[in-house]
Amino acid sequence: MYQFDYQAPDSLEAALAALRENDEAKIVAGGMTLLPTMKLRLARPEALIDINRIGSLAGVTEKNRAIVIGAMTRHADVAASKLVRDRIPGLADLAETIGDPQVRNRGTIGGSVANNDPAADYPAGLVGLGATVVTDRREIAADDFFTDMFETALEADEIITAVHFPIPKRAAYMKFPNPASRYAIVGVMVAETHDGIRVAVTGAAPCVFRVTAMEDALKKDFTPDAIAPIAVDGAEFNEDIHASAEYRAHLVNVMARRAVAAVG
Amino acid sequence: MDIQGEYHIAASPTEVWQRLIDPDVLSACIPGCESMTRASEDAYDCAVMAKYGPVKAKFKTTLTLSNINAPVSYTLSGRGQGGAAGFGEGVADVMLEETSDGTALRYTARFNAGGRIAQVGSRLIVATTRKFADKFFAAFSSGFDVAADDATA
Ligand SMILES: Cc1cc2nc3c(=O)[nH]c(=O)nc-3n(C[C@H](O)[C@H](O)[C@H](O)COP(=O)(O)OP(=O)(O)OC[C@H]3O[C@@H](n4cnc5c(N)ncnc54)[C@H](O)[C@@H]3O)c2cc1C
Repeated sequence: MYQFDYQAPDSLEAALAALRENDEAKIVAGGMTLLPTMKLRLARPEALIDINRIGSLAGVTEKNRAIVIGAMTRHADVAASKLVRDRIPGLADLAETIGDPQVRNRGTIGGSVANNDPAADYPAGLVGLGATVVTDRREIAADDFFTDMFETALEADEIITAVHFPIPKRAAYMKFPNPASRYAIVGVMVAETHDGIRVAVTGAAPCVFRVTAMEDALKKDFTPDAIAPIAVDGAEFNEDIHASAEYRAHLVNVMARRAVAAVG
Repeated sequence: MDIQGEYHIAASPTEVWQRLIDPDVLSACIPGCESMTRASEDAYDCAVMAKYGPVKAKFKTTLTLSNINAPVSYTLSGRGQGGAAGFGEGVADVMLEETSDGTALRYTARFNAGGRIAQVGSRLIVATTRKFADKFFAAFSSGFDVAADDATA
């Protein structure tokens, strides 16, 4: 191992202060992405600020017709939450499809959202449900939060504290997982929210995006058939040994139709 | 899996070519390039800071110019060694063609990785390569627009 400093403060203020003290410090949440990267020496932060002891950051509550999920809430706890299962079953389903039991028991919603991996599930969940990311200093609409591959609107010393999900009328998430990691080759969240219909796609492109043509079609006719003819342009889509860009473009339509059917 | 791109530059192929082989221009356009020194006639040693998501690491990279056919085409390749993580190599075939108002620069780029980088990162390679190549060629072409504007000012 190489030398680095480790701190585990028990308040948000102390974590923020430690983060400001060192430009080369990193927050560690579940560590499911950061620690493997450090093991490969693809990142060598000088200090790790562990936020696992900040109790106020974990847990699920209901507030003003929204489900509020603390940044340190594990994927397994979102999947098992009776409140989430009750109010936004599509979101509990999403959390349940992430990775394997180890990843779900360690990985957190805050870490996933901050990382903005192009194949992560939560970005589609947040954008599809019109969620808001809450940080130590402000609230950021999901539509403005995920800016590009691995890039977000977060400032270098900003900590996510929670995510607010307005309770939708109905919603469902469907994904075609990578057979090994379970990361989304393509994942689609379809929701009828109180502000309209949303279709958000992860895995296909470098960053989560909405398919407005599908949203418009579903507004008129909420059936899988209504969006069957709507193709997305896959020219800039991701490609790997599991799926070509063209295949991903095809999957967007298939997963969107399945999500619409699941929403009912 | 090749990535292609095209840029239009308001300068002659000969002018564009001069800059394509100029180490100062290359180092200014390579995202994260911190230093570059000549290693041999057509090769340079560079230190490149890669910052993608959780990754933040400095790579020693050898940049090589080959298949040189002035002022029409060449191959630009960069091979980086990432220690325990493995290695990565990016290759871009660049072609210039004279147009009525300047030069069309076309490139085809690909990236190969080996070792652990390839295992954990294969799903990200195409998107990362596209971003890297776009940044490089956009910086290269915009440098030109400025130069062209300066000349007419
Ligand atoms: C084998 C494997 C399979 C996986 N499969 C999937 C999958 O199918 N779907 C999926 O969506 N994900 C998947 N993941 C990712 C996983 O879900 C984690 O959520 C993700 O790795 C990041 O969460 P973490 O809590 O582990 O964050 P960490 O690794 O601790 O941190 C990640 C990054 O976020 C920053 N960060 C963490 N918390 C905060 C915060 N509160 N505020 C600001 N910045 C913060 C850290 O500084 C770091 O840069 C998988 C991971 C592995 C290892």
